Amino acid sequence: MIHRLEVTLQDAEGAMLRVLGTAERRGFRVRALHAVVGADALCRMELTLEGSRDAELLGRQLARLHEVRTATVRVAP
Amino acid sequence: MADTGAIEAGLRSGAQWLVAALEAEDVDTIFGYPGGAIMPVYDALVDSRLRHILVRHEQAAALAADGYARASGRIGVCLATSGPGATNLLTGIANAYLDSVPLLAITGQVASGLMGTDAFQEVDIFGMSLPVVKHSFIVRRAEDVAAVVHEACAIARSGRPGPVLIDLPKDVAQSRAPARPVQHDAIPAPVKPAAAALAAAGMLLARSARPLLYIGGGVGIARAEMALRDFVSCTGMPSVCTLKALGAVNAASPYNLGMLGMHGSPAANHAVQSCDLLIVVGARFDDRATGKLDTFAPGARVIHIDVDAAEIGKLRSVDIGLAGALPWILAELAQPLQIEPWRVHCAALHDLYRSRYDAPGTDIYAPALLRDLSLAAGERAIVSCDVGQHQMWVAQHWQIEAIHAHLTSGGLGAMGYGVPAALGAQLAQPQACVICVTGDGSIMMNIQELATLRRYAIPVKIVLLDNACLGMVRQWQELFFAERYSEVDLSDNPDFVALARAFGLEAFGIERREQVPDAIRRLLETPGPVLCHVRIDPRANVWPLVPPGKSNGEMMDTAA
Repeated sequence: MIHRLEVTLQDAEGAMLRVLGTAERRGFRVRALHAVVGADALCRMELTLEGSRDAELLGRQLARLHEVRTATVRVAP
Repeated sequence: MADTGAIEAGLRSGAQWLVAALEAEDVDTIFGYPGGAIMPVYDALVDSRLRHILVRHEQAAALAADGYARASGRIGVCLATSGPGATNLLTGIANAYLDSVPLLAITGQVASGLMGTDAFQEVDIFGMSLPVVKHSFIVRRAEDVAAVVHEACAIARSGRPGPVLIDLPKDVAQSRAPARPVQHDAIPAPVKPAAAALAAAGMLLARSARPLLYIGGGVGIARAEMALRDFVSCTGMPSVCTLKALGAVNAASPYNLGMLGMHGSPAANHAVQSCDLLIVVGARFDDRATGKLDTFAPGARVIHIDVDAAEIGKLRSVDIGLAGALPWILAELAQPLQIEPWRVHCAALHDLYRSRYDAPGTDIYAPALLRDLSLAAGERAIVSCDVGQHQMWVAQHWQIEAIHAHLTSGGLGAMGYGVPAALGAQLAQPQACVICVTGDGSIMMNIQELATLRRYAIPVKIVLLDNACLGMVRQWQELFFAERYSEVDLSDNPDFVALARAFGLEAFGIERREQVPDAIRRLLETPGPVLCHVRIDPRANVWPLVPPGKSNGEMMDTAA
């Protein structure tokens, strides 16, 4: 199953690695990734993930990372 | 070296800011081992009031800090150099991660310009530790050091606690700078669950005929024992505990059915299988607790209470999830219940499956020894376990009066935990009677820490249950691998009594049942560190047992 997640996070050393590592360790494969750091020092990541586990649960697991401000699961196109 | 003029000018080295920040965080004890990249910090320690405990292996530094944190409720701090020093910490960091222990791990790193060049003693400990930390930092500027320490401590302690790593490059530790003003990022307070969810949970509870509390280690982490006991007192609900929650409720109550799961009590497992409502408090449906998950509590609706919203619904779908501070939620949910038939049923289960200690023979029966020792040690006792059969015997038979009086590597199951955790706990609670229960396999994983006990005269009492094999693995090979024993024989163990004496500890051995009472007396009356070597039957197994992959309703209670 394909899931789309939008994650907003503080632009800190290792922050993107933490998000990607969490997604992979929790049972999802990263199929596509787009990330931009804005002038507001926030990084906006859009991830397309493949996995059979609950993406809403992954969203909560991402949200508890210290740098993550929001983690939203979108319906896959 | 301290430069008085620079300090008066408000300039300190990164290492000095680190030490000052730890002092400001009210840290009094750190566990560590020096080496090249961390030497500036060790130099700063010379002028510090921090008590540094020199362990003999960095893994023990992390595990001792873990034991210190669990026994005191304060943050534990460990320190190591780069490269092998840092990698040796990892097992202890992972242990703290899986058991949600507030731990600060500080590692030296090669100088910034050498990072990424495969320099001597360089490893990417920041990257290596990512899966097992709550958070981590590489400090890039000396002026940031103090602020990072304060933020790291706040993160480690807040919400669901966990380990935080600070990697400190040597040039950052050595360069001088004024401190950046400390800006505490607001750590968000735990959310409160919606009033509607609380009301629905209250209704579910009021309508339940067979409600059961499933209590986890989160209760101890949240220091919510009083709130939990008030809840139990108000509702009259029977309860079961995970390994890490033992001691949460009155050990003598007939409605406390003990530990659930693989080596749990039959009373606990039967009650879980027949309840109609499970209130899960600070627990996470670990596989060792649930057995085959889709047969766990098959007739129960579930209310799950946890400070970590990501635990709710992770493994078992819930009827109502309540994320937030445990004491507040428990107080909101408490109500008197009309469940007397269920209470009578649970008390009967408790009585039916009471442990017996009248094993035949003259060999030392470890469960009885542990039971007698816990009763003799009394309320001052803190027991620190290693991992294996003896760990389960402690869980089953030790009279545990409070969660923080039982230190055990629950999530990681790290052999080698017992001795370092015990020394950390004893330093945190000098008045306590700290007893380490270990096995002949486990103790050899951190045997070098006997030297630390001796050096600081830390009066830990060690009970070494020696079955001359890796008992838990042997038991599984006997039961589930057709008695094909593979690499479990330890019959060539060293002479542990002589070994302990070589480290400067008092030590003695026993091998017959009638020697147990005197041994217990001697252990408890010896003022300093002491080791009691106990020879037990290599064929002894831990019963009952839920076979792996089976339902908790399918307990075995003998090999037959």
